[in-house]
Amino acid sequence: MSLPEFKLLRPRTTEEAVRHLREHTSNVRVLAGGTDLIPSMRQKLFEPGHVLDLRGITAMRGIRPQADGGAEIGALTTLREIERSDFLRQHYPVLAEAAATVASPVLRNMGTIGGNICLDTRCLWYNQSLAWRKGCGFCIKKDGDLCHVAPGGMKCWAVFSGDTPPALLCLNAEIEIVSAGGTRRVALRDFYTGLGDNYRKLQPNELVTRIFLPAEAAGYCGVYRKLRVRGSIDYPLAGVAVVIKRSNGHVADARIGITAVNPAPLLVKEARDLLVGKAVDEALAEAVGDVAAKTAKPLTTSALTPEYRREMIRVFTKRAVLAAAAN
Amino acid sequence: MKKELIELRVNGRARELAIEPSALLLDILRNELQLTGSKRGCDDSSCGACTVLVNGVAMMSCTLLAASCEGQEITTVEGVSEHGALAAIQKAYGDWGGAQCGYCTPGFMMTVKSLLAENPNPSEAEVRAALSSNLCRCTGYSQMYEAIRSAIAAEQQGLVAK
Amino acid sequence: MNDFSIIGKPIAMIDAAEKTTGAGKYTDDLSVPGMLIGKILHSPYPHARIKRIDTNRAEKYDGVVAVVVGKDAPNPYGILPVGHDEHALALDKVRYVGDNVACVVAVSESIAEKALELIDIEYEVLPAYFDPEESMKAQSDLIHDSKPQNVEKDYHHVFGDPDKGFAEADQIAEARFIANEVTHAAMEPHSTLASFELDPHTGKPGRLTVWSSTQVPYYLQHKLSLVLEMPMSQTRVIKPLVGGGFGGKSEVIPLEIIAAVAARKAKAPVKITYTREEVFWAHRGRPRTIIDLKTGVTSDGRITAVKARVVQDGGAYCSYGVVTILYSGALLGALYDIPNIQYDGYRVLTNKPACGAMRGHGTVNVRFAFESQLDELAAKIGMDPAKIRQSNLLQTPCITVNGLRVQSYGLPECIEKTVERSGWKARKGKLPKGRGLGIACSHYVSGAANSIIRSDMPHSTVNIKIDRDGGVVVYTGASEIGQGSDTMTAQIAAEVLGGSLARVRVIAADTDLTPIDIGSYSSRVTFMAGNATLRAATEVKKLIAAAAARKMGCEIEELIFRDDAIFRKGGTESGASESAQTSRGPDGRGRPSPHGSTESDRLTQSHGAELPTVSGHVEGQILRGSLQQKRKEEGPKNSMTFEEAVVAAIDFHGALTGTGSYAPPPEARGGKHKGAGVGPSPAYSYSAQVAEVSVDEETGEVTVHKVWAAHDCGRALNPVSVEGQIIGSVWMGMGQALTEEMVWKDGMLMNAGLLEYRSPSSVESPAVEPIIVESIDPEGPFGAKECSEGSLAATIPAIANAIFDAVGVRLHESPFTPERVLAALRAKKNAKALNLTEGVDPTSPIRFREHGGSLCFNGKGPERHALDPSRRETPSVAGSAD
Repeated sequence: MSLPEFKLLRPRTTEEAVRHLREHTSNVRVLAGGTDLIPSMRQKLFEPGHVLDLRGITAMRGIRPQADGGAEIGALTTLREIERSDFLRQHYPVLAEAAATVASPVLRNMGTIGGNICLDTRCLWYNQSLAWRKGCGFCIKKDGDLCHVAPGGMKCWAVFSGDTPPALLCLNAEIEIVSAGGTRRVALRDFYTGLGDNYRKLQPNELVTRIFLPAEAAGYCGVYRKLRVRGSIDYPLAGVAVVIKRSNGHVADARIGITAVNPAPLLVKEARDLLVGKAVDEALAEAVGDVAAKTAKPLTTSALTPEYRREMIRVFTKRAVLAAAAN
Repeated sequence: MKKELIELRVNGRARELAIEPSALLLDILRNELQLTGSKRGCDDSSCGACTVLVNGVAMMSCTLLAASCEGQEITTVEGVSEHGALAAIQKAYGDWGGAQCGYCTPGFMMTVKSLLAENPNPSEAEVRAALSSNLCRCTGYSQMYEAIRSAIAAEQQGLVAK
Repeated sequence: MNDFSIIGKPIAMIDAAEKTTGAGKYTDDLSVPGMLIGKILHSPYPHARIKRIDTNRAEKYDGVVAVVVGKDAPNPYGILPVGHDEHALALDKVRYVGDNVACVVAVSESIAEKALELIDIEYEVLPAYFDPEESMKAQSDLIHDSKPQNVEKDYHHVFGDPDKGFAEADQIAEARFIANEVTHAAMEPHSTLASFELDPHTGKPGRLTVWSSTQVPYYLQHKLSLVLEMPMSQTRVIKPLVGGGFGGKSEVIPLEIIAAVAARKAKAPVKITYTREEVFWAHRGRPRTIIDLKTGVTSDGRITAVKARVVQDGGAYCSYGVVTILYSGALLGALYDIPNIQYDGYRVLTNKPACGAMRGHGTVNVRFAFESQLDELAAKIGMDPAKIRQSNLLQTPCITVNGLRVQSYGLPECIEKTVERSGWKARKGKLPKGRGLGIACSHYVSGAANSIIRSDMPHSTVNIKIDRDGGVVVYTGASEIGQGSDTMTAQIAAEVLGGSLARVRVIAADTDLTPIDIGSYSSRVTFMAGNATLRAATEVKKLIAAAAARKMGCEIEELIFRDDAIFRKGGTESGASESAQTSRGPDGRGRPSPHGSTESDRLTQSHGAELPTVSGHVEGQILRGSLQQKRKEEGPKNSMTFEEAVVAAIDFHGALTGTGSYAPPPEARGGKHKGAGVGPSPAYSYSAQVAEVSVDEETGEVTVHKVWAAHDCGRALNPVSVEGQIIGSVWMGMGQALTEEMVWKDGMLMNAGLLEYRSPSSVESPAVEPIIVESIDPEGPFGAKECSEGSLAATIPAIANAIFDAVGVRLHESPFTPERVLAALRAKKNAKALNLTEGVDPTSPIRFREHGGSLCFNGKGPERHALDPSRRETPSVAGSAD
């Protein structure tokens, strides 16, 4: 399967990149690690006239601890660098752990944190070749007008399948978005729409350039648990990130993020209230698992059945809470 | 689409090539440079048969645009043999049955080469984790571990001898 | 210890360096001048009539050379003579999503892909069948008009008296087992390059050469000749390196014919390489199989009767189907002593890609059911699962109730060894909660005793040529596909002739050069091509021996061929023997023996540098023409170098050539009942395995920690290869047991890629301890039998039985995905009634794992496509810009 034809733009600076984006807004895709975009372009899910290759922008790489104890991560930093960063492993362990579960080691050499945040939503009816999709009459996310997962509605249910965003949500991360018109900074939790097709609030002329980890989230115990069939390569079929801060044996603060079971990665809202002020035990962890499972709305977008994947959100949350509290 | 002239450094040699911007590194290696050691096994960046080193880092050449590798040092399986002889890992894969049909083998050579460059004496768990980027359908991976162990031992003996 | 110098030693395969350096060429690595690229258009419908194909727009597209459709090659073909139901490209009907409709030949892949979109086809959509049990009820809209009820073939066998057998049983178990569909997923996607030569006499296209990733070059030659209506003598098939087959390349795959037809039409060489998705559509994997099984045992563990009803979801074409359904019944026999067998097998057509032969062809799914049920019966009568297997051994040599001749039988030793190595007796039932051990056995043929195409032809023939350079060239039609076939041939030739391995060159699988061999399938190569090599080498050896005996002034019987020289028995072994060494460890290092292969004398392949120097010297003299002089100097002596002996023999006989062939003996060819031709083999391999697993009771996830796998391969000609085959089989069995499954939805294959079809990665692959058992078969080459397939079938039930041991649930459907295991655990506990194996998504009325229902497919693929504004724009057509 060959790639569609396009013009390749290879900027050296962010400024140059956003200039290109402004110029070709209607017809451009951004290429970072390429581990999702290139296979998708083979399948003719995207046929842009221009591809903006960010690989040359060295300024967008690197993990930079900040004076206030927080950190700033360039969007082009590879998942491999994040997984191996001593700084992140020490201060933001949930992020390093989540990054270490993405795909396979070689893909983590290529894939970037920015790419993982912006990862296109996935569905078994969508991530298929052009020839395959003709067979099902296409789907609402691409070329068609029907959702095969929920045929009754007109909504796309493609599932968000990034591993690092639930961890970043737990860390209250913010991202910097740059366009020719200026720079804005948004909380990651406000970045996703919850829709399968138009899944993120990013204009075609905008670029995610940096990720900010706040100082107050540093030092939380963190755990990421991922459901997959194989021990490597696979996208998550369900994922749970948990961070907990304790004082005097009780939970002082906690957040739980889930992924791969909804069109967006989500924080489990009720989890914090359930946990704060209490000592974690099996029953409490169970209760937290139950609310996480309620937040999860898996559908038949992925392998394994929705019911099972929701059940695993429950079990994995319980286990992750116990593990994080035991740290 | 109009072709562009780029220079690729492959296995230590600079090559000037006219390529389409949408050309993948794997296709350029195989079709333009006749370096057919790197294989295509899938279309969804999952199998690792096309793995090459880019500036020493293992990457999938089916997932890289050739044009974006301009100016970077690319090593393919054809660049693994040393001084006209099999590298220790190549010899060991043969001796220990690490290769059966051989189609995935070039990819594994590159993955193992990058593993040993980073970590000359990996634990079994580290070897398993590193190999998990590449799929093999013949060996069940077991004999590869023996091959890698033996290659490490051979390298260490070589170092002592030197 | 045996007295062999080449066989029985762990050696690197003779093509190992080609593979590790990337120098070896697979079909897709080849190119020839002027080569064009072919791309295939596939059906978007599972079942439809083609009313019209218009290729006009595609043909005019710039860069397109030809467009091929069904009527360009209307002759039907199929691997079985009874199953000629395929066309290279659909003639009138398409029968599965992915069926082949047209092929565009263009100057580049991307142009061909674009032109595919310009082919206009009008379809009449027909009702489609996706579930075999539903399909069997079909009255109209049959998949093939000649197959009523969409049944490809059914067989009904009764051996002994099953009713009497069940009456004698103390315990009877009865259950339905389902094994879902799996595929080979060999790492190399199929590829074919076809090229015609111009005939110098007629000036027209003449001979056709096809390079193809095939396990069966001679069948390919035959089918090409059939479809292209060319004499076989004008059709040459060459098999380059093949990147794995496992049965997926053991028949003619559409692209192989399409490439040749396309090359003819385009008047240029054409290469077609499948995308991974196309590999899944080409398929020919192991069918989803529904097994209703009933087994009876006495209280002392003797099996009294077995009754099996097997329904196979065969897909849209016959492929190997008739053979598969027969193997499923026939190989109920020859493992254990079963006096009474009833078998009802149905091979059913459905609108999905054709299933065919896959590693362990026909036996695997039934073996899963049988070994699971035997375990259940052992529990019922309170007998150790290993013991119940030992209680039903065959008394060999024998002929089973269904007519299979068994001679060598290493099963008792296999069971004994796995039980011992796994610590079965001490550990079974005593592991911590959630962890368990399971045992199971299996067997497989060492080649089919009856070939697909009935004839008296030998199944393998091998030629050997030795010339004055002392090089031994072996010509074999056997197909190396990664299993080590070429190395096996070289080893046998070298062993017989007493030459070093470096002396042997193997020319294989080229229909112009090599004598016919029916291919690499049903684990036949070592037994059959090995025997043919043995015979050819023995014939040549006789010629050399006659000359050597004359030179040495002794009898032929006094000669020993070894270490690149010929010695007179009892003579002083001077000269050649000093330089001819065979037993060396690589780098002076012995081979550690983690699995009991104790060879410390791993053999080095001496390429060039390590050739005996004396040989080079002698060779030089001879070639420089000092032969007469040399002869004068020679008197009788006690040894000769291999070259000296060869030269003497050539002087004496002329060129040294030998031919050997192998056909299975009549006694091994089975009974007389209908379908008796499938199942018989000259020898059977045996396997016993113990698997250790743990089960997470909260998630249903199963981890396989270790598998001990004993395999009776007759004799291990190359232990490192035998162990590799055993490990690979066990590992592939584990894939089918735990993670691999083709998932269908209304005839759409939901996981047609290596990302979603989950072949295990290194992380979750267990340690496998291969244990070689050598029963020394009386007819195998040096006693060897098959080692590449037989182990696979035992792994699935061994894991299932270990899961039962660990958590007390019995899985009746493979793969044992975490949701299936969890559902079984929940059912056992009567816990919160969650149906975890069916989609219960409230917004979707359709089950995800859809197997059931004769669903009428209201496809709207291309229509929708045409409606979509973003796609309506057609690519530029040649000329339109002017």
